[in-house]
Amino acid sequence: MATALVNAAVGALLAAALLGAAFEPRAVAVVVAAAVLPTLDAAASLVVPGATNALFHAVWLPLLAGVTLYWDAALRPDGESRLRRHGGPHAVRTAWVALASFVVAGIAPALFAGDGAALLYPIEGARYVFEGRLGFSTREGVVQTFLAFDAAGPGVLPIESVGTAAGDPVASRINPDGRPGLDPGTDRELRLVETGWQLVVVVAAAAVFAVRFGVTR
Amino acid sequence: MPSTVVHAGFALLCAAALLGEYYDRRALAVLLVAVVIPEADSVLGFVMAGAHRTVGHNLVIPAVLAVALYYDTAVRDRSAVRERLSDRWIAVAWVAVFVHVFAHVALDWTHLDGVNALWPLRDRFFRLDGEILYSTADGLVQTFVDVRVEPETGSRTVDAGAGGTSESVHVSNPVQPSDPATEPETPVERRFPVASTGWRLYLVGLGLFALAARRLQGDDLDADA
Repeated sequence: MATALVNAAVGALLAAALLGAAFEPRAVAVVVAAAVLPTLDAAASLVVPGATNALFHAVWLPLLAGVTLYWDAALRPDGESRLRRHGGPHAVRTAWVALASFVVAGIAPALFAGDGAALLYPIEGARYVFEGRLGFSTREGVVQTFLAFDAAGPGVLPIESVGTAAGDPVASRINPDGRPGLDPGTDRELRLVETGWQLVVVVAAAAVFAVRFGVTR
Repeated sequence: MPSTVVHAGFALLCAAALLGEYYDRRALAVLLVAVVIPEADSVLGFVMAGAHRTVGHNLVIPAVLAVALYYDTAVRDRSAVRERLSDRWIAVAWVAVFVHVFAHVALDWTHLDGVNALWPLRDRFFRLDGEILYSTADGLVQTFVDVRVEPETGSRTVDAGAGGTSESVHVSNPVQPSDPATEPETPVERRFPVASTGWRLYLVGLGLFALAARRLQGDDLDADA
């Protein structure tokens, strides 16, 4: 799993890329918080077995948020968005970018590297991960192994799965053994950066913000 | 190498984050060209050993470009660049330097033998690899740069992932799939990867997402959609 720092860095890049006129410290904070939010399902795993990478990594929460946002902004019978009325002119845009950040910067990194995300939890516990290769070789032609239609595993989607939410839970800083119950004595590791590419993403995000706030000042 | 597609993906995200009001199709096209050009050092491999990841993949040339651009546009009385380019294209030039460093050189730095980071000042490949974590037992631990102090002599050795030189390192690429010093297999297999691991596909997806989202939002930056 990509670390919370990487989630935050990608969220910050999305904020800089998509907020436009709404780009201001408070909106950025909301978008970055949305990127970190999915990793907090690790806290829920202290009570609910196997909630790490499952509870906030499933598709249901963002689907619900997306439908609600769309209804509020476009379909509401009285024609005036409540979010805009209470949150100001930039609130709707900020909310959409925060939702994108939740999905793209919060959930997706777990889906593409490491422990996987239980997309259909709690209906199904399988944790999916996109691991494979895509390319062209002069000997083998087009090679694509990300989507595996004959994948042997517990999941129904044509994606490789790496275990189930409750069966082999994911370890985290908050819950090192992944199972319910708090053990204050164990050694905890807060992973900040796991590989070179994650360091590149984090430093690039920091540099983008140095530039953006430096230029406007 | 992480493929050019991966570089382009991350470059698109950085460009969308930096360009602000200058974000448009022409600016993106220029930036994509800036991402692709350094790969031309693959072809130089025929005339210069180890040219790939050396000539186009170092931090010296972008640093010189950045200093030159800053000196010309901000320090000199009469700027040669400003006479030819508008503010918009000067901003695009800065973003081009940024995406070259972060989306191209830095990502290749983390892969295989890394990049010849200080060429032409110094001929040595460096590879960025390690982790940073905070553990309740060991405190803050980072393994990107290894600093060792010899207990007897007190001398310090710093290992920042240094590897071979352009003489000894060959980073395979579609133009030269194998080290010219070794006997090639026949028929030669050339690989043009798009994404060889999940995270590279993720970076490609990030760039496409930023592109699609900006498109959906429309050109008007003040719009609240």
